[in-house]
Amino acid sequence: MATIVNVPEEKVLHVNNFEFTYASSDTPNIKKLSMPIAKNCVTALIGPSGCGKTTLLRSFNRMHDLYPGNVYAGEVLFEGRNILNPKEDLIALRAKIGMIFQKPTAFPMSIFDNVAYGLRLQGIKNRSELNDKVEKALKDAAIWNEVSSRLKHDANGLSGGQQQRLCIARAIAVEPEILLFDEPTSALDPISTQGIEMLVSELKERVSIVIVTHNMQQAARVSDYTGFMYLGELIELGQTEELFVTPKEKLTEEYITGKFG
Amino acid sequence: MSVIIDKLFALSTKITALSVLLIVAWIFTVLFQHSMESLNAFGFDFITETKWAPNLEKFGALPAITGSVISTFLAMMLAVPIAIGVAIFLSEIAHHRLKAPVGISIELLAAIPSVVYGMWGLFYFVPIIRDMFGGLGIGMLTAGIVLAIMILPFMAAVTRDAMNTTPDILKESAYALGATKWDVVKDIVIPYAKAGIIGSLILALGRAIGETMAVTFVMGNVHKISTDLTAPATSIPVTLANEFTEADTDLYFSSLFELSLILLVISFTIISIAKFYFLRRKRSL
Amino acid sequence: MTYRQKRIAINNIVMTLSTISALIGLGFLLWILGVLVFNGIEALNIGIFINEGAPPGYGESGLKHALVGQLLIVLYATAVGVPLGVLAGTYLSEYAQDSKLAQTIRDISDIMMSAPSIVIGAFVYAIIVMPMGHFSGYAGAAALAIIMIPIILRTTDDMLQLVPSTLREAAFALGAPKYKVVIQVVYRGAKAGILTGILLGIARVAGETAPLLFTSFNDNFMNTDMSQAMASLTVTMYNYATSPYEDWQRLGWAAAFILSMFILGLNIIGRLFLLRKRGK
Ligand SMILES: Nc1ncnc2c1ncn2[C@@H]1O[C@H](COP(=O)(O)OP(=O)(O)O)[C@@H](O)[C@H]1O
Ligand SMILES: [Mg+2]
Repeated sequence: MATIVNVPEEKVLHVNNFEFTYASSDTPNIKKLSMPIAKNCVTALIGPSGCGKTTLLRSFNRMHDLYPGNVYAGEVLFEGRNILNPKEDLIALRAKIGMIFQKPTAFPMSIFDNVAYGLRLQGIKNRSELNDKVEKALKDAAIWNEVSSRLKHDANGLSGGQQQRLCIARAIAVEPEILLFDEPTSALDPISTQGIEMLVSELKERVSIVIVTHNMQQAARVSDYTGFMYLGELIELGQTEELFVTPKEKLTEEYITGKFG
Repeated sequence: MSVIIDKLFALSTKITALSVLLIVAWIFTVLFQHSMESLNAFGFDFITETKWAPNLEKFGALPAITGSVISTFLAMMLAVPIAIGVAIFLSEIAHHRLKAPVGISIELLAAIPSVVYGMWGLFYFVPIIRDMFGGLGIGMLTAGIVLAIMILPFMAAVTRDAMNTTPDILKESAYALGATKWDVVKDIVIPYAKAGIIGSLILALGRAIGETMAVTFVMGNVHKISTDLTAPATSIPVTLANEFTEADTDLYFSSLFELSLILLVISFTIISIAKFYFLRRKRSL
Repeated sequence: MTYRQKRIAINNIVMTLSTISALIGLGFLLWILGVLVFNGIEALNIGIFINEGAPPGYGESGLKHALVGQLLIVLYATAVGVPLGVLAGTYLSEYAQDSKLAQTIRDISDIMMSAPSIVIGAFVYAIIVMPMGHFSGYAGAAALAIIMIPIILRTTDDMLQLVPSTLREAAFALGAPKYKVVIQVVYRGAKAGILTGILLGIARVAGETAPLLFTSFNDNFMNTDMSQAMASLTVTMYNYATSPYEDWQRLGWAAAFILSMFILGLNIIGRLFLLRKRGK
């Protein structure tokens, strides 16, 4: 059982005895994992490569359902229901739990249309409403100044860092409850990385964030809570500072002091 | 010694590679030379003249050209929507256990010789058209349908390949915003793979227009332009297949060579457009 | 209906339409395959392999002449097309690489792969049949070889490029001359791929009918002299299928069946080669 300390009362997700097995795998890739995800906070997931961070993250918006044969067990509670229920409305769920990927994923359309995409999916057609929401999202993602004069341009013309912020704008435009980040800066240069990190810290005012990172400094910089995973299990979860300064588990200590990983 | 062998080997590879260009140039030259007599006799009228009467030494290619265009157009009208449907099915809908077997079957069907499709058309499809529309059952309509069926596997396979170039992560990003499969297909896959899809369809068109055996059985080889799609007709490949061994005068031969040249130029042009304009550009992510 | 329900409904409709079109496409193709197998097997008997063509009503006819002719024509085409294609592909991958010339040859080959094969027949008619004064197996083989070369060239080029350059460098570092590196290291590394290319190339030309119609033409009797007109399965199939005699039509189906199974077999073997290579 993982050591879990000092997590606040208010939670947005609750993971209970969660197990996940990929179609091609004989044994569970995530084993009996339980953890709370704090509301309006940044929770970082760290751990060596292959420990299951991405796998866990992609369970929260049921991304694994796009590929056949993957098996979930246990519960992930969101808004009082288990979202692992096969009857869960995935289209609605994914509109509420957004995701940012390892690489920027600008759609093959204009900058404006990229940000408006999720809004249009929700049926917003009114031009001025769209304009307002797109502008607000771009401002919130700190990219408005760079793109306001070329909203009609192809989004693929933007730099990697700009594209990643565009993707964040696209995700927050639909006002999700949770944003999932999977190593969002691994394809970016240090300056773009800094921009994304600042953005993550600002966004938690309005949305709960889970961020996977293999970079412990990044976790220390942006997160309020950190969970350390190892071989498909959660070893320890606690306030970020505490976890890095006074880890309760020996494994955690070894990992953050660089003994393995 | 080794140095000489090395040079010889390099040289022989180079000569064979260049021979490919040479053969193509040679094909054009030979066809052109043999078309001279017909070119001199009819000039530009060759392609606007509707009368093809070997006994009178009169050769007009318009019925054959029209036939090629119409039968190919019909085939495309029928095959394109189905091929796109099959490609969407294979790349986005099919259960993973179906994807590989159905995909491979389609590729294997593309390998079945077109003469088999033609034979099937003659024995099984002509009677149906005859019963439905009367007449002989052979003609433009039958040819267009058989051609559509013949080109379908190739078209579906290359269209699917084009769709499959869309990165998973891009599709996942759309699903992560709450998109449905159809949203992803129309907003992500088709825009992303647009050039590749159009290129694939045009490539299939280039193949269809030069296809001989699938249509020869069911076209009738009648040099007459008719508004009745169920009447016997002809096309360039059909004329060539039926008449090359029958030609008895130099002018007749020359006219057939000019038809070959026209066909080659048409398909070269179409395939080049597909290849250079649509299939060359690559996106990265 | 809310907008969301509408979207889901549209999704379901389009997905159903797409599935239906897949079923229509597959249905037609299964129909053809079924007809081929059913008629083919029904027409198949030992006589097909021992008898030659006979005029309808004069004893039992078979396909021996067409099978032998087909084999000879394809064999000769392969004997010319494979070495030329492999050598040319070697030039592209190992010598010219990304040069303008190499790119041009690649492009022209790609176009040739989709060019109308009947035109190749017309070309060969002009350069071989006309000077010789008569149809011949050689002319048929030449037409098929011309169709085959670009196919072999492109697969060889692709497959050789897949061989890691470290392998070449290691061989060069031992002081091997380039031709030895190519033959002993690169060819060996790409063996399965090249073989697949050759099999697919053979499969492709074996089904060609149009370029044989006026090159090797046809012959109703056994002939192994390549300088004379020669029967092939494909042309025989065409002639028999369009004949009014039911016996001959049956033989046409038998020929179609035998040829299709041969071609499908080659395709499947070729794929298995590649799969096994990838598995390693
Ligand atoms: N699509 C997949 N199919 C099968 N196994 C997978 C797949 N993706 C990841 N895995 C396995 O699941 C485990 C966890 O992977 P992942 O979640 O990607 O780790 P992390 O993000 O922490 O690096 C690894 O052992 C990995 O090999
Ligand atoms: Mg990961």
